[in-house]
Order: sequence, then C-alpha cells, then structure tokens
Amino acid sequence: MDSFISTFHIDWKILIAQAINFGLVFLLIYFFALKPIKKIMKERTDSIEGGLTDAVKNAELLKKTKNEYEEVLANARIEANTIFQEGKKEAEDKKRVMIEDANKEIGEMIEKGKKSLESEKTKMIEEAKNEIVSLVVKATEKLLESHKDASFDEKTLEQIKKM
Amino acid sequence: MSQINIENQIGEAEAVNTVGTGASEEISHESTLYAEPIGHIGNFTITNSVFTTWIVVLIVLVVTLAIKIKAKKIPKGIQNGFEIIIEGAMNLADQVTGSKKITAKVFPLAFSIFIFVLISNWLGILPLGGFGLIETTEHGKAFIPFIRSGTADINTTLALGIMSVIGANIFGILSIGVWKMFNKYVNVNAFGEMIRKVRKEPAILISAPIMFFVGVLELIGEFAKIASLSFRLFGNVFAGEVLLMSMSAILAYGLPLPFMGLELFVGFIQAFIFSILTLVYFTIAAQDHDEHEEHNEKDKSTHKEQALV
Repeated sequence: MDSFISTFHIDWKILIAQAINFGLVFLLIYFFALKPIKKIMKERTDSIEGGLTDAVKNAELLKKTKNEYEEVLANARIEANTIFQEGKKEAEDKKRVMIEDANKEIGEMIEKGKKSLESEKTKMIEEAKNEIVSLVVKATEKLLESHKDASFDEKTLEQIKKM
Repeated sequence: MSQINIENQIGEAEAVNTVGTGASEEISHESTLYAEPIGHIGNFTITNSVFTTWIVVLIVLVVTLAIKIKAKKIPKGIQNGFEIIIEGAMNLADQVTGSKKITAKVFPLAFSIFIFVLISNWLGILPLGGFGLIETTEHGKAFIPFIRSGTADINTTLALGIMSVIGANIFGILSIGVWKMFNKYVNVNAFGEMIRKVRKEPAILISAPIMFFVGVLELIGEFAKIASLSFRLFGNVFAGEVLLMSMSAILAYGLPLPFMGLELFVGFIQAFIFSILTLVYFTIAAQDHDEHEEHNEKDKSTHKEQALV
C-alpha cells in the first residue's frame, strides 16, 4: 500500500482539494446552468402545453357553440314551423268556421227566401184564386144575365159545380 | 516508468522560464506518473493537475455565468446548444436509469462529472505543455509544465471515484433505507431466511451462506468500482499524454495532430464512460433486490397461471 501511495504520489490534501474543485464545478453547473435552463425549459414546455390545451379547449368551445347554434337554429326552425302550422291550422279553422257560417247564413237566407217565396206564391195563388173566383162569379153573373132560363140555369149550375 | 526527454521543447521551456537558468545545461522533461508540484500555499502543494483543475473551475464559472445571465425563454446561440445537449443527455440518462425520477436526482451529478472530466481531459491535450517551470533537481534541470490534465493525476480520479461510489451508496440509503442497504453487503436476512425456511426448503442451508458471501463480494466490489473508475480514467488520459509527448519527440510538426484528434475522442469517451457508470451505480444502489426478486417470482407465477389457463 505504501509503495502504491508513493508511486502514484497519493496525497490526501490534493485528493480533498480535487474533490472540492469538483464540488465547485457541480455547484456552478447545478445552480448557474442546469437549474435556470431546466426552469426555462419547463416554463416553455408549460406555456406550449398550456397553449395546446387552450387551443383544444377553444376548439371544443367552438364546436360546442356551433352545436348550440345549430341546435338553437333547429329549435327555432321547429318552433317557426310549429307556429306556422298552428297559424295555418287556426286560419283554416277560421276559414272553415267562416265558410260554415256563410253556408249556414246562405242556407238560412235561401230558406228564408224560399219561405217568403212560398208565402208569396201561396198569397199569389190565393189572390189568383180569389181573382179567379171573382172572375168566375162575375162571368157567371154575366152569363146568367144573358141566359135567363131554368134549364140553362141548372145545366150551368152543374157545370159550375163541376168546375 | 518511462522517461522521455523532449529536446524540441527545451527552447520553448527556456522561453517561459522566469528564473533564468542559462542555455548551456540540458533540461530534461520527465513524463511522470504523478502530478508535479509547481508551487505552495502554506503546507498545501499546488501540483500542475490542481492548477489545471482550477482552470476547469474558471472555465465552468465563466460559461455557466454566461448561460445564467443570457438565459431567456426564447433561446438564442449558446443557450440553444446547451439546451440541445441537456435534453439529449437527459434522454440518454433516462434510458440508462429507466426512471425519470432517478434521472432527475442523479443527472446533475453525472452531467457535472462529464463536464469536469471532459474539460480536464481536453485541457491536457491543448498544446500548452511548453509553458512551465525549470527546476533544478539532483539529476539536473527539469522542465515542469504548468498544464497537466487533471485526470492524468490519480488523486483527481480517485477523488471522483470515491465520490461517485460513496454518493451511490448514500443515494441507495435514501432510496431503499439503511437496513436494506446494509443487507446488501452483510446479508443478515439470508441467515434469518435460513432459520425460517430450513424445514420447508433444506437447500437453503447451502444457498444462505452463499448469499451472505455474495454480500461480502458486493462490499469488495464497491472498492473495485472505485479502483476501476479511477484507474481506467487515469490510465487512458495519462497514456494519451505520453502518446502525444512521444509523437512530439519523434516529429513535433504535424505528426501529433491525428493523435490529438484521437485523444480528443478518447477524452470524450472516458468522460462519457465515467458519467454513465456513475449513473449505473446510482441506479443499482436505488434498486431493492428483495422487491426485484419478489416481482420476478410474481411474474413467474403469473406466467404459470396463464399457461395453465
């Protein structure tokens, strides 16, 4: 061991000095180079990852908004269609009611007309009958005045009766 | 020990010699196994490898300060490069540890080891060997360069190796607890198991002492780790410096150039190996052997059940 130490000049003082020198190098590299560089690299990685995450979030938000917009649009279309259909139905109902009312009114009017026509007709017939009767009476009177015999009277009376 | 006299460096060495020795005497330059002293602060001897390590600390200080000051959220220039290196190294460390949690804890140390060893290795390759002192010894005048790779000194590599192995064991204690870590080396559990299971499994009478002996081997292995880490690095870097000096002695102009390239590569590889091995030691220390074995047994039983089904 002694020959080994003397051959290689192993000196514990130099050994410690070199260990201290390496310790200094380690501290310098760790605190002045590795630590700040790693911190910067981490910050950069974080910001890039944050950016990417934000981009993904934004894309998701955009997609969600687009879906919502489309959903709202679709709902609005459905609602508009429903409103339109309801309006249409209401209008048709109203139309139908109006037509029915009109038909009913027309029917009533026709019925009324018919009735008044009927009554007019009856009246006219009555009047015509009365006219005819008065005419017949007058004609008979005139005839009786012109043919004043008994046979004739009987014959004529019979004819008149037949009439 | 090989002794290489480099005549063509003498002139250069004389040029930087502040003592003024005179040109008549021959100045030798020995390539020694140990770092040579270039000064003293009290009792402490400053060797050229310690001096080079101070330069490493200075370089790291300047670069890291520049990074800290100029670091911005949107990277530019040096920060870009540094971030690429950090990210690549962390991915590699993840592959070695197999756990991001362990990587986050061990990576700063492994990365620091890599940078420290790399700069130390490469500083030794720089053609600054001509700057140094001329010292008068009993064998005559000798040239001592100011720059010697920090890792070409066993004191540095041994310090790093000890720190790495002790650090791994401390990390192991923090991860799996003192008792489990203690049982890794002094397998008391194996004897406990032997007493409990001896009637059911008589073979445990053989396996338990073996397990205990494996624990002792593990303990010896920790010292082997220190030796292998420190001597591998020291041997490679020192051999590289000797190779470059030899090539310079043969032909100073041009010839060392491809070898310098080779040594740059070797320096990188050695720093890489040291830091990766540190990562591996930390990862192994953080693993619980019992849980691992239980997990394996569970897996086996699940496979058996599946096969039966």
